[in-house]
Amino acid sequence: MNRRLSPAWPTLALLALLAPGMCASVRAAEPLPGKILFERHCAACHAPGPGHAGTERLAQARGAAKAALEQRTDLTPEYIRSVARNGLIEMPPWRLTEIDDAQLDQLVQYLTRPRK
Amino acid sequence: MKQILPPGVSAEQFAEALQAFRKVVGEEYVYTGQALSGYADPYSIVADDEAHAASAAVAPANTEQVQDIVRAAGQYGVPLWTVSCGKNFAYGGAAPRMAGTVVLDLKRMNRILEVNEGDGYALVEPGVSYFDLYAHIQAKGCKLWLDVPDPGWGSVIGNALEHGVGYTPYGDHFAMQCGMEVVLANGELVRTGMGAMPGSTTWQLFKYGFGPYLDGLFTQSNFGIVTKMGIWLMPEPPGYRPYMISFQREEDLAQVVDILRPLKVNMVIQNAATIRSLLLVAATNATKSQYYDKPGPVPESILRKIMADQDIGMWNIYGALYGPPPVMDSLWSVIRDSFARVPGVKFYFPQDRNHPNDLLHARAETMRGVPRLSEFSFINWTGGGGHIGFSPVSPIRGAEAMKQYTMVRDRMHEYGFDYMSIFAIGWRELHHVVELLFDRRDPAIKRKADELFRLLVREAAAAGYGEYRTHLSYMDDIAATYGWNDQALMKLNQTIKDALDPRGILAPGKQGIWPARYRGNRT
Repeated sequence: MNRRLSPAWPTLALLALLAPGMCASVRAAEPLPGKILFERHCAACHAPGPGHAGTERLAQARGAAKAALEQRTDLTPEYIRSVARNGLIEMPPWRLTEIDDAQLDQLVQYLTRPRK
Repeated sequence: MKQILPPGVSAEQFAEALQAFRKVVGEEYVYTGQALSGYADPYSIVADDEAHAASAAVAPANTEQVQDIVRAAGQYGVPLWTVSCGKNFAYGGAAPRMAGTVVLDLKRMNRILEVNEGDGYALVEPGVSYFDLYAHIQAKGCKLWLDVPDPGWGSVIGNALEHGVGYTPYGDHFAMQCGMEVVLANGELVRTGMGAMPGSTTWQLFKYGFGPYLDGLFTQSNFGIVTKMGIWLMPEPPGYRPYMISFQREEDLAQVVDILRPLKVNMVIQNAATIRSLLLVAATNATKSQYYDKPGPVPESILRKIMADQDIGMWNIYGALYGPPPVMDSLWSVIRDSFARVPGVKFYFPQDRNHPNDLLHARAETMRGVPRLSEFSFINWTGGGGHIGFSPVSPIRGAEAMKQYTMVRDRMHEYGFDYMSIFAIGWRELHHVVELLFDRRDPAIKRKADELFRLLVREAAAAGYGEYRTHLSYMDDIAATYGWNDQALMKLNQTIKDALDPRGILAPGKQGIWPARYRGNRT
């Protein structure tokens, strides 16, 4: 049961508590580390392999070595922030309500993490 | 970034309104200046970057804050444009119709309030995406399927309100909606259907309640702000079999559509099946430059080569069977025998399609309600990102489908664009969704695409075809095509608008409906 339900919701609150066979209420967004944020917001287009529009486009435009974002080592924090906030040609921008600055920092940390 | 003000609002009024919004949601959830970059339409077709520019955005966390924002907006005369997840790309994204409007961004309202497995529904807030709801259902282990549109990042509420479609048997999203909570322009909160009864146990089970059925008023409109909505979910079927059927000749479209109609109406074809044109299928795993590097549309000879290379048809049906295996076997035998009459027809299941990026593999996921973004690959056909949907509706008649196809194809070729489309089959109609691709960085191509689009709207209307949905830039044009009896429907919409929103706060210009305060200078 979500404790943030307002007083205007007694009926729903009772239903969620009492009715059998129901799934519990949850918040859809919680603070997440960079990799989980990547999987949540970026992977549908930028994961490696076929069926990912961003990966395919980067392979066409910049070559296979720069296709999958998680495998790249040339991305700078400034570039990632700029593309995320302003978009880039095919890619739309992300709003602060979707990825806030703290989450974007986590994404940047993940995509620029030291590699062996 | 240049400050834009809402029309008719002074800088002082605007500043006071923003201050009032900050008091409601907190300083950090009112956005101006650079923080508005995400509220621009990234795929805008119009050359004027400021045509749909927001003046600010405000992001409430709950319904009470929406009510307070609406009241403050009314006090200062500041117009609001509501977005749920803001992913209505190709139709405007999170941008407002009228420059200077403040975007009311509901993304933070992302609670999944209930998923009821036994009765098969969910109650959600506007910021809940298909990805969110799918993940929740999977995590809880509920034996329920979503119905998803191609882009899974969109809002469950927003898509239904825009009359969006998906591809399972529950593909008509507004038809599967049940019960709304709506904030009106005066800040009052209303629940529709059975939700109007205190203590009701059937808000998400019975749509109509008692009295007029009002839910439709809040779709594709600017009469209220939907803050909660019920959506019916399909019980997981005991069996599932996706399939593809390809047809080799352009003219097969007529016969295919005539075969489809009785199969769909009699529910032999159970889901919202689609007929996809050659290039829309090809574009998911190839680029134009791989086949053709000259300006203008791909010629017939190259189309034949693409067909052979990818083992696809000029037209391709993607459908699925649902139910116990004997039921699926029976349905498939009828479907297969019906289409076997078309010369050159080919039938495929996923195991017949070897390319890892073959569209049937993606469709196999989408037609069982797994949200994805993979179909955006079609934008890579030409690159440049710009895309817009031209979406006229026709009867499920072969001759009508051919007429629409040839009309649109010929014009697109004349203007130098490739034709790519989906015919999505509904209960009595075909949605002919045509994708027009352009380089968003090229003003000349955008001007050409804009000219073509307006021509297509006029020619479709002259032939009796109306669009079911459109980009911000064409809302007035398309609303005007629904002009029977001296614009009687628009007059009714305006009467409702003036009664519900006399101060003209909510989404001016949405679907061509302007409040009185902004109506005067428009024809």
